[in-house]
Amino acid sequence: MPEMTPVQTLLIAIIQIVLVIAFVFVVVPLTIFAERKVLGFVQQRLGSTRIAGKLRGITGLQNRFMWGMGRFPIIHYFRGLPGLVGDIVKLFIKEDIRPAKADRFVYLIAPCVSMIAAMLVYAMIGFYPGTLFTIPSFIPLIGGLPVGGTIADVNVGLLMLLGIASVGVYGIVLGAWASNSKYPLLGGLRSAAQMVSYEVPLTISMLTPVILAGSLNFNEMTRVTATGLSPWGVIPLFIGFFAYITCGFAESNRLPFDMPEAENELVAGYHTEYSGMRFGLFYLAEYINMSIVAALASAFFFGGPWLLPFGLQRFIPETAFWIGQPHWYIFAVKIVFFLFVYIWVRGSWPRYRYDQIMDVAWKYLIPMTLVNLVLAGIVRYFA
Amino acid sequence: MSYVYDPKSAPNRKIEMPRTAPVPGLAAYAADMKATAAAEEAKWQKLCADYETAKAKAESEGKEPPKPPVRAASKSDAYEMQWPVPKESQDQDLRRLRELLGGHVEESFEQAGEIVCQVKKEAILDALTHCHQDAALRYEMLSDMTATHYPAGLGFAFSVVYHLTSVRRCKRLRLRILIPEKFEPESATQIYPAANWPEREVYDMLGIRFKKHPDMTRILCPEDWEGYPLRKEYPVVGLGQREINYREDRSGILQRKAMEAAGHFEINAKPLKAE
Amino acid sequence: MFKTQVMEINMGPQHPSTHGVLRLKLGLDGENVKSCYPIIGYLHRGVEKICENKAFFQGQVWTDRMDYCSAVSNNLGWAEALEKLFGIRVPRRARYLRTMLNELNRLNSHLVWLGTHAMDIGALSVFLYTWRDREKILDVFEAFCGSRLTTTAMRIGGLQEDVPEGFEKMVRDAFESVRIGIQEYETLLSENRIWLKRTVGIAKLSADDCLAYGVTGPILRAAGVAYDIRKAHPYAAYDEMKFEIPTRTEADTYARYLVRLEEMRQSIHIVEQCLEGLPEGPVMAKIPKTLKSEVGEVYHPTEAPKGEIGFYVVSEKGGVNPYRFHIRTPGFLNVQAIPLMLQDALVADVVTAVGTLDVVLGEIDR
Repeated sequence: MPEMTPVQTLLIAIIQIVLVIAFVFVVVPLTIFAERKVLGFVQQRLGSTRIAGKLRGITGLQNRFMWGMGRFPIIHYFRGLPGLVGDIVKLFIKEDIRPAKADRFVYLIAPCVSMIAAMLVYAMIGFYPGTLFTIPSFIPLIGGLPVGGTIADVNVGLLMLLGIASVGVYGIVLGAWASNSKYPLLGGLRSAAQMVSYEVPLTISMLTPVILAGSLNFNEMTRVTATGLSPWGVIPLFIGFFAYITCGFAESNRLPFDMPEAENELVAGYHTEYSGMRFGLFYLAEYINMSIVAALASAFFFGGPWLLPFGLQRFIPETAFWIGQPHWYIFAVKIVFFLFVYIWVRGSWPRYRYDQIMDVAWKYLIPMTLVNLVLAGIVRYFA
Repeated sequence: MSYVYDPKSAPNRKIEMPRTAPVPGLAAYAADMKATAAAEEAKWQKLCADYETAKAKAESEGKEPPKPPVRAASKSDAYEMQWPVPKESQDQDLRRLRELLGGHVEESFEQAGEIVCQVKKEAILDALTHCHQDAALRYEMLSDMTATHYPAGLGFAFSVVYHLTSVRRCKRLRLRILIPEKFEPESATQIYPAANWPEREVYDMLGIRFKKHPDMTRILCPEDWEGYPLRKEYPVVGLGQREINYREDRSGILQRKAMEAAGHFEINAKPLKAE
Repeated sequence: MFKTQVMEINMGPQHPSTHGVLRLKLGLDGENVKSCYPIIGYLHRGVEKICENKAFFQGQVWTDRMDYCSAVSNNLGWAEALEKLFGIRVPRRARYLRTMLNELNRLNSHLVWLGTHAMDIGALSVFLYTWRDREKILDVFEAFCGSRLTTTAMRIGGLQEDVPEGFEKMVRDAFESVRIGIQEYETLLSENRIWLKRTVGIAKLSADDCLAYGVTGPILRAAGVAYDIRKAHPYAAYDEMKFEIPTRTEADTYARYLVRLEEMRQSIHIVEQCLEGLPEGPVMAKIPKTLKSEVGEVYHPTEAPKGEIGFYVVSEKGGVNPYRFHIRTPGFLNVQAIPLMLQDALVADVVTAVGTLDVVLGEIDR
């Protein structure tokens, strides 16, 4: 790899960032659409089938086009897809209301804090091993340079990731406090306690693959858990995964743990007073967090984004069709699976109460993850 | 501001006040029967007199005489209905209550399978206490309580009824008191906490205040509402607008104007207090 | 150094889970509920005053709109109260059909309750499952009287029309899906750990408190008192039906859930008995076109899905409309007991308590 000038590094990073943002803004609306359709499937209804609009104007054209396309069986299923565009446009053009007695500055930056924290985590996630593609040589200044699959391949990736992820709670708490309203305040209180509590078992459960791999570097860790793991390593890995996914639900405020915004108790929780795109930022941040938890689950516990889980890769010949080599669709399948689990759980379970959630974190998850940590150490020592 | 109705601006909103006080009971029923019989007799007499004059007229003119009148058969026989007549009751609960309360019981009877005990207004708390605590009675639950406005009542303006239920014996009893205007009966909440909201409702709707009630405030209407809606002199809003042809008034302007003319928008439309 | 202060928060009148416009003034210490003061009246329409100024038979449409989830039982209570007042004998077939409609209505109301209550606690799917089953029952209502919610199903003296053709098959088809539905709810909720955690021991109301505060219906039966007006003071054709009164002794939200589920099964049982033993004959008694009253006074209690609904009617001599028309609705007295149920409760339990009472503000505010 040729040595790059700072300008070249910057330009390459910008290209990567644009790619990641594009990826996020494709995956997140698709997740929202998937949530509508999967929940519809779970609840024996159709899910979204159209744009919320009449047969007039642009929405009308889209509706008519999609209904016309509805002759084809698969497109028929996706005929509500343009509704997502409508939703996002709606979020952008809606009036941005600010309560009269809100703390103006904090109120305005809080959704941005949430969103930035969620997006920053993507910088550390390796989307692809090595080079994603090479820039064509006719482009000046950066022609011929490789674009890597990770924006920031940091040695202490895990620490940085956890650090940034814990900033996300500030967005919620600050937004709740700055709204100067009682329901958001309650939501903010709940979220502060809940997120802080669940950070602890989340971190400890993430240490399991760290111990097994002996490294904090993201790429190194995924390489070891995917290929270099002893069969015994699967046990602590699996327990760690269980704890991790539970905490992941709590960290991204999804249904059994959606205390901060429990709409039946706190109206809309921390974003009660938000409207328009500021609410949209919170909304998107939640879904980005979901995809992050899914991505990390596949990275830490399921053999990295691009390999098979539990060291199964060793047993597959490299010439095997589709799964022999690292491929993006393995990553896609894993993420889709975890997102499906999210939606599935939302469709099946009631919500915990606030004190019961604290019980789950402090009485069950933390002891469990600590024991699991010791177990991982033992496995690492003997295997 | 209180309700003042100007018959000029809203002629149809004139309120017809009832002229009788229909408190059901043995005495009332007897009086009723007497009045009905008298009315029937008067009607019959009038028919006979009419017949006589018509007959005399026909004879003088040489025409065929009209048919003599026939006493009409009672109508209720043609229908599957029988008005439940109040009658003396031998119910043991009523007997027990009469024993316990003595002279405080004004009237006790049975109508449509329901036993009713009317007591003196000062003795209602005693009556409720006995009903709740006496071993032979033991009415555990107050199902309902409400009141009725009798503007034409002699010596009373309201009747307050308490519907008691014995869950164990599957029995129901109605206690009734008749009270004049401005009289404050004892609150039943001292014995049956369930009476809390019903008493508030009675206060809200009819303006009867109860002594020793923990929270005597309006419940269904806003706190600053004026007047008591279930009193008979309270108008039914909307009667003034009957002349409007609603087909011509799709937008509601005529209705609004009529309501403005009738003063509807002034009622309870006080300016809000500045914070 | 630190000053603690009870935060006063208004839950309602606009709130997703107060089932309409109930307003609870809560005093909160963090998440703990220190005080609760229910405020009602935001849906007050003056039904009593309106009925006093309409002819006897015109009051029915207003009873539809009180408890809009169980219009038939309101209609039934209204019709029977007036029949009691006028001493009208209703034909046996009409009584059977009334019983059947009333029990279908109880199923409908309990399905609505289960769906909304489960959604309050966060179980989203149960809501839509119950709606799916309820749709079948509403279809039956629609076939019978052309209306789904505001049925106006009764007349003074019987029913306006006999049932349409194919009614029995329709009811049996509906029951098939409701039976499967009830099993599904049981699988989803009855042994669900989160559901148990959210409902067992929550919003307790002992039998003594129930009686003292006039709380009736499934709440009273979940506290161990087997009091059901269908058995205690049989009306319509309930004296000819065989059914049980489900009771529990735990007096908590979970017990009420089980009681209501069992009541749904008993309702199916009663309707099937009605279908089997449906007598032939007219459905309307012979009564005059205009009813003119004498001096009288009745209070007629019936068992609505939410508890005792009683109609108190006073009539005057020669009157064509009631002199006084009062409705004792179950919700009005049940909601009174909310502060009692919220001893040592958290905010989430407030929602559970409101949900378990099966609150419909249309009947509370009237």
